[in-house]
Order: sequence, then structure tokens, then C-alpha cells
Amino acid sequence: MSGTVAPMKDEIPGEPHRLDKWRWASASIIWALAWVLMIHFEGRLGLAQVAITLVLASALAAIWLPLIPSLLTTALAVLAFDWVFVPPVSAFRVEMAEDMLLLAEVAVLSWVVSGLLAHGRVLARRARRSARHAEQMRALGDALRDAEDPLQRGEALRSALKDLLGQQPKLLMLRNKDAVEEDEGAAVALGAPSAEESAGLWHCVRTCKQLGPGTDCDSQLPALYLPLRGGEDHAFGAALIPHSPKEVPTPDVMTQAQALCDQMGQLLHRAEAQRDADTAQVRAQDQAVRNALLAAISHDYRTPLAAIMGAASSLRDVGNKLAPEQRERLAQTIVTETRQLSRLTDNTLQLVRLDAPGVKLSLDWESADELAGAAIGRARRHDPERRLKVWAEPGLPLVRCDAVLFSQMLENLIDNALKYSNAPAPVELIVRRQGTHIVFAVRDRGPGIEPAWREKIFSVFQRGDWRSSSTNSAAQRGAGVGLAVCRAIARAHGGELKLRPRGHGGSSFECWLPEAEAPSVETQDRAMDGAAP
Amino acid sequence: MTLRVLLVEDDRELCRTLRDAMAAEGYEVFTAASLSEGFALLKGLEAGVTKGCAPVDMVLLDLGLPDGDGEQLLVALRQKHNVPLIVVSARESDGQKVRMLDAGADDYLVKPFSIRELLARMRVGFRHRGTSVSPAVTQYTLGNLRIDLRTHDVVLDGKEVHLTPTEFNLLARLVRSAGQVVTHRQLLLDVWGAEFTEHTHYLRLYMAQLRSKLEENPADPQLLMTEPGVGYRIAEPRA
Repeated sequence: MSGTVAPMKDEIPGEPHRLDKWRWASASIIWALAWVLMIHFEGRLGLAQVAITLVLASALAAIWLPLIPSLLTTALAVLAFDWVFVPPVSAFRVEMAEDMLLLAEVAVLSWVVSGLLAHGRVLARRARRSARHAEQMRALGDALRDAEDPLQRGEALRSALKDLLGQQPKLLMLRNKDAVEEDEGAAVALGAPSAEESAGLWHCVRTCKQLGPGTDCDSQLPALYLPLRGGEDHAFGAALIPHSPKEVPTPDVMTQAQALCDQMGQLLHRAEAQRDADTAQVRAQDQAVRNALLAAISHDYRTPLAAIMGAASSLRDVGNKLAPEQRERLAQTIVTETRQLSRLTDNTLQLVRLDAPGVKLSLDWESADELAGAAIGRARRHDPERRLKVWAEPGLPLVRCDAVLFSQMLENLIDNALKYSNAPAPVELIVRRQGTHIVFAVRDRGPGIEPAWREKIFSVFQRGDWRSSSTNSAAQRGAGVGLAVCRAIARAHGGELKLRPRGHGGSSFECWLPEAEAPSVETQDRAMDGAAP
Repeated sequence: MTLRVLLVEDDRELCRTLRDAMAAEGYEVFTAASLSEGFALLKGLEAGVTKGCAPVDMVLLDLGLPDGDGEQLLVALRQKHNVPLIVVSARESDGQKVRMLDAGADDYLVKPFSIRELLARMRVGFRHRGTSVSPAVTQYTLGNLRIDLRTHDVVLDGKEVHLTPTEFNLLARLVRSAGQVVTHRQLLLDVWGAEFTEHTHYLRLYMAQLRSKLEENPADPQLLMTEPGVGYRIAEPRA
């Protein structure tokens, strides 16, 4: 039975030899003591009592000795007992039938005890090995679980395999399951496999089978190849273990090695599945975003288009029946709605542009009050009736920004504030310094924004009744794209666009821009007299 | 004498609308739908006028034409004549605007625009080329502000305003193109010199100084207007 247990490489290192020596020493001491005792008892006790000492010694020795040596030493001891103690002494013959029976019983009893002990030892060793294997799997599992990229944890598998098999393995791990040998960079190799070994590893990946000595395939190969199986028939890599004729791995060591490899294979499989799922999710999100954007834009375009169509067709078809002031009103509708469409187009294009990767702004040093003044001036041209106020803190530093984009943001915010607040209340644009930021605040006295909508209104896809008491659905159109592009512009400048509800009603949309140090200006000219040349 | 305007625009509808509107204002309008037609028309008109005189009094030029870019016509025209030219385009990038203005365009209108705005810009253009009654600008008046470029007098509300030489030069440069945008580059070049054309922060500082001396609320200017990303414009003179 013990003959089937080959020297196990995964025993605790150094343990077998030391144990062997001590085993034989211990057994020898036991037997020596037993013989001293038996010789001592001879003549004082009956033969049966002396024989019990032999059984005891055999049992004790069997604790240390492997099965076969244990059985042999027991047999020798029984023969020696016959020679020394059983009459006639100094002969192997036995005269009395009860002595014969005694010898037979002693021999059988000792063998049974030795056999049981040896079997127990094998079971215990197997249990220890299983526990160690389980521990090894758990340790590898821990090492792999923490890995963001399993490809970086090949060394953990290599060291686990080396612990198990005593040979430094070489690894091939695929970046994805469809990787092919011809594609450089499709796989990661560890342990610098030669071209031939590499071919073997790729063959093992393709066949998804164990190859080499101790397996059913290609047993003449100089190394053992184990696939890193991630599924039924799919390998995500392979391990190569150099073959040593002295130490052929036992089936359970092979099983353990394969289990370790499969653990890595499954991890690579899971990582790939996760990547696929992530990609699919991003794609689905992109699609959803695109659909929502298209829906929002088409809605925002159709509304002014419908108004223009209505007004223009009225002028064409029934224009001569309308009063001059009615015609004037229709013409004004066309102008207003066209301006709305134009702004919507600018915003949509800007949003797409800012969304593109690597967007480049044309930054320059700009004066904060100039930007504010220009935005108010333009808004006033479009809406001369409304009260617009602008105030800038004196002595503001220059800001680093893209003037066209930044003006577009301010105009959108002003436009928005005008649209959502009623005529007598002014819309204000305030520029001030706040800590290390320059804040551009566009403030209105409109109905304000419901708390639940304060963050959502910056998303291009949100629409709905977000003004506290707004019942005018036409007033809401276009706000989504407008505020979304404003926030995108603020962020493109390293700033942020925030909404703050005002104390006595209304909203303040605030663009916080980090202050930057402007280059200095050499001023040499003195104030000149008005009459000077 | 009727003022003659060449309109180069490939969109038929827009072309007809603009032509009708300008005709209603009393201009004689010639239209071209492509670059080659524009060149041909100019050549034909040139033959009908005294040598050296401009074939038309103003050009309105679209950029994206079926057979080339309107910029070619601008460059060719500027080599011979100084007629006012306004670019009318759907291209809205400030870089494009600045390039056209620096190349000699008098103004730049981004589509869509209102007829009223176009006609106003055209009037400014005519005034600057001395086509209308007023000669080249040396005097400027807006409300209570009076500027005399010859005597260097700047008077606001009856009181003389003291300006530094650089401030005055900057103001004078804007007054010479009153009502028109002068690009950052052009201002820096004319006031500070060629090596300063990238120093826009100089402009910011001096414009702020000028505004603090001439504007009631510098943050809400009525006189010295900013065209973000392009340049500055002083308001059209009004007595």
C-alpha cells in the first residue's frame, strides 16, 4: 500500500529525509528495548506474556516504519523469537502445538496492527496534503482576486506551481480568448519560453488539453503542458512545467496543478466577460445618450420651426386679409423664432464640439468686465425692452479663457434668465472675486427651480416642469441644451457652473473660474495733456 | 448717383431676398452665384468705368461658394481697389473672422442676420470709404463726448479728459474705423508695433483704462464695445 505513495514534492521541504532517519532510529530503539525486556522476562514470565512484548514492540515500531519494512521486521522478530525463546531453543522447529499457535497469533496480530497504523498514516498524509492544496488554492485565489488586471498576476500562479511541482514553470496568458499566435502582443509570456516551448504552449491553448509526460497526449514531450481553462473547451493560456524523470507528478498533484491553472483561466475568462459587459454597457449608454440627444434636439427644433411655418404660411396665404399690425406680429414671430433656432444650432454644435476628445480652446487673457459687458450689450440688442444690469468688482484680474465660448455661455445664461423671469424684474450679471475664483453670476427673480431639479437641469436630456410654478410649456424649450452647453463650457475652462437659489426668490447661475496670474504690462507713458501733440 | 453693390452669394433664396431689400433701399444690385461669375461681373463692370475707378461701391461676399472660397475674390480685389467689402458667411469661428478682417474685409456678418443689421453695416462701410457725404473721420461725437484727432482734444461733458499717449493712440485708431470692428492684431500692430501683436493683455489693460475715463459704467460700455475673440469697435458717431 505504501509502495504506491511516491516521494511527494509538495511535502514540507526537508521533511522526508529527516523523518526517514528518525523513523528507523526510533524503530530500532523500540525493538532493542523490546528484546532487552523479553530476555529479561524469559524464565520469569510465561512465553505468552513475553510474546505480548513482541506484539507491543511491533505495534510501536509500526508507528514509525513504512508498511513493508514494518511487516518484514515483524516477521524477522517472530522467527528470532522462535529461535531464542520457543523450545527447542536455537532451532526454528516448534515442538508444541500451543507454541505454534502462539507464534502464528503473534505474527498475524503484529501484521494487522502494523497494517492499520500504516494505512492511518497514509490517510493522515492525504488529509494534510488536501488541506495544503486547499490552502494553496485559497492563497492563489486571494492573490488573483485583488488584481485589477489578471495578466499582472502570472507570477502568483508561477510560484504556486513551483511550490507544488518543484520546477520553475513558464506561462503564456492570452489577452483575450480570440488571440492568435501570429498577433504580437496578443498574449503575455512569463519565464521566457523558447520558440519551441512557445509553439507548444500555443498548441496546448488551441487543443485545451494536458500534453506531455504523465498525460494521455504526447507523453514523449520534454515538458508537461497544462492549459489555463476558462470554460469547457476554451483555454486562456497554458503553463509549461519542465519534466524531471526522477519526480513524476502523481495524479493528485497533477489534479492540483491543473486546478491552479484553471483558477487563472477562469479569472481571465471572467475578466474578459467583464470587459465585454462593460463595453456593451458603454455602447448601450452611448446609444441611449444619442437617442435622448436626438429626441431633445428634434423637439427643440420642431417647436420654433412650427411657429415659423405657421407665421410664414399665414403671411403667404392670407396675408392680404390681415391687418398691418397682425402681419407685423407674424413677421416678428418669424424673426424671434429664427433667432431661437440659430442659438439652438450654436449650442448643439458647441456641445458636440466640447464633447469630442482632445477639444482645444483658443485661450487668451480676457478682461472679465469686458466679457460681461459684451454679453449684456448683445442681449440688450435682442431684447431692448428688458432691464439688464451689469456690475463688475473694480480691479478684477484678467481671466484666461476662450472669449467666444465664454461669451456664448454668458449669453445663454442671460437668455435663460430673461426667458424665465417676468418683465419688470431685472436680470443682473455680477462679476466678483471670491477667494481664488472669479465668479460670473447671472441672477433673476423668476419662480426659482424645484430642489429636485437643481442638478438635473444641467443634463441635456432632462426636460419637464422644473420651474416651480411654470405652466408655460413653450417657455421650457431649449433649456436642456442651453444649460448643458454652459456647464460644458465652464468645465472646459477648469471651472464649474453652479445653481444657487436666491434668498427672496429667483435663481443665480454662477460660473466659478479659477484665478490665474496674468502676464505683466510695461507701462511707460504718462498722462498727457489733452493739448499735447 | 446710385450706389452699386455686388452681391456674391450662392443661395438663390437668400440672394433674392437680399437683392430685393437692398433695391428697396435704393442701391443698384448685381448678383453672382459663384466665384467665377463674381470675377466676370467685376471685369465687365470695370470696363464700363473710368480707369482706376472702382467697378462697384461695395461688395457683399459669401465664403463657401460652389467653385472656390470667397477669400480669393477678397484678396484679388484688395490688390486693385479699396472698395468696402463685407463678408457674409455661415462660418462663425472667430479665427475665420479675424483672418478675413486682417485680409482687408471691412466687416463680417454671420448668418443668420437681419436685413436691418446688414443695411446698418453697409452704411458704416460707405461712410468709411468716403462714398457718402462725410469725408475721412477726424472728428468724432457721441452724446456728450467729442474727440478731435487733429488737435488731440477729448472732451467729455464739457471737461477735457487727460489720456496717456498710448491711450490716445488706441482711441484714435478706433475712431478712424468708427462703427467697425478693429481686430486685436490690427490694434496692437498700429498702436504698439509688430512685436506686440500677440500681447492681447496690453489691450485689455488700456481698454480698461480708457473705459474708466470715458464710460459711465465701464462694465456696461456704450462707447468702446468688445467683440469677443475678434477685437474692439467704437460706437458709430451720433451728434
